[in-house]
Amino acid sequence: PVTAGSIVVPYGHVIGNEKWRGSEVAQRLQGKVRLIFEDGLGLVDFHLSNRTCILLISEADLVAGDEFKRRLVRFRNASSLRGIVIVEKTQISDQYYSGVQKFVVLELGMVLLPVANQGEASQLIVQLVSFCVREQSKERGANPFLRKQRAQLAEPAVLQAAQHIPGVGKTKALLLLQHFGSIHRLCNASISELGQVVGQTVAQQIYTF
Amino acid sequence: IPVPESNPSLAGISRAPLEHSPSPCILADSREISSGPGVISCLRAVHGLRVQVCSLGTSDYIVSSRLAVDRVFQSELQSPGNRNKLSQRLQRLQGVFERICVIVETDRVRPGETSRFFQRTQHYDGVLSALVQAGIRILFSSCQEETAALLKELALLEHRKDAAIQAPTEPEGHRRDILNFYLSIPNLSYGAALNLCHSFGSITAVANSSVAALAAGARLSRPQAEELHRFLRHDFDLQLLPQPLPAKGK
Repeated sequence: PVTAGSIVVPYGHVIGNEKWRGSEVAQRLQGKVRLIFEDGLGLVDFHLSNRTCILLISEADLVAGDEFKRRLVRFRNASSLRGIVIVEKTQISDQYYSGVQKFVVLELGMVLLPVANQGEASQLIVQLVSFCVREQSKERGANPFLRKQRAQLAEPAVLQAAQHIPGVGKTKALLLLQHFGSIHRLCNASISELGQVVGQTVAQQIYTF
Repeated sequence: IPVPESNPSLAGISRAPLEHSPSPCILADSREISSGPGVISCLRAVHGLRVQVCSLGTSDYIVSSRLAVDRVFQSELQSPGNRNKLSQRLQRLQGVFERICVIVETDRVRPGETSRFFQRTQHYDGVLSALVQAGIRILFSSCQEETAALLKELALLEHRKDAAIQAPTEPEGHRRDILNFYLSIPNLSYGAALNLCHSFGSITAVANSSVAALAAGARLSRPQAEELHRFLRHDFDLQLLPQPLPAKGK
């Protein structure tokens, strides 16, 4: 049966599909994360959090043909979870990788991460879990790639922009901004208004620009 | 995170009309001439795309009006040494672009060097996890040629979603000056600046535009257009300039 809905994952735990019991991945995960096995996870191999789950594609799946694609499409259509596809990219399955990547990332819009073997897969899962835990605990600042919203003063940038007007250097830019206040008002100033601040020649240049 | 096609298995069919529209354009940063010459020449020669080399500063490639692509070597993700540089770069990109993609390229084996065994580090997995969490798309490439093929796929995909760069990429003379003015606006991408040049007759027209008109003309998202609108109407306050200025002028 297609089961791809969300399940409740206790904080810091991983819920694994029963079929992985005793596998190398599972053995290596034991001790590093709290792993619980459950029956009937359907398409999903591991649930990392309430929103994130993993679909594991082995070297054998890749070589065997397109069955794994059907599984991914079924997951994509049935589930709103964020699915991370981990694929075993070995010397044998390497030739299929670019096709799989095109399908998973570009067509399905899912995340695809290659590993060389089940050992690497378990290491990667441990790291992914640690980020899921951080996300749940609202420690979003811990992610170095998320943009921190920081209020920035616009003054230096406005001054920089004004200096891109032909004939205007730092001094004139300052004068203009002090007089007109914003780029919007500067744009709508008449030649004579501009002329009072910077002189006729430059006023003409600014106005034409 | 990209919005998936409603029916992925049918995605291939919608490609047919592409034949008639002009091939999509990719902007490449000038640094890529030295670090990725194979990528650029392959995009041009094999895939027949228009590649415009310009000084992007922010990212290595701009594929559409909302997607930036950075090319990183696998070895750069292996050790914590590059972490700050990479995160600063990507954080900046997130301020400018709606979507970011990182292409992780396998390092070239230099002549005389036997193929190095890739030892996967914990740090490497950590970086990948962080990228996934931040919603940054990751693609893996084994060489520059493959990177070019991936860039082409991304460009086609964005083209299909009607986000391709359509404005002329090489303004001249007076328009060049105007482009440079737009480029000095913080958090405005090169593509958006080109769109502004193309869609609006003058800077005054841009300055007088509503948020909605800016979003449509520059093909920006609503928050980005709001930011631009705010910037143009920002009331300058001399007191807030950080560094003391030379007391000339008055």
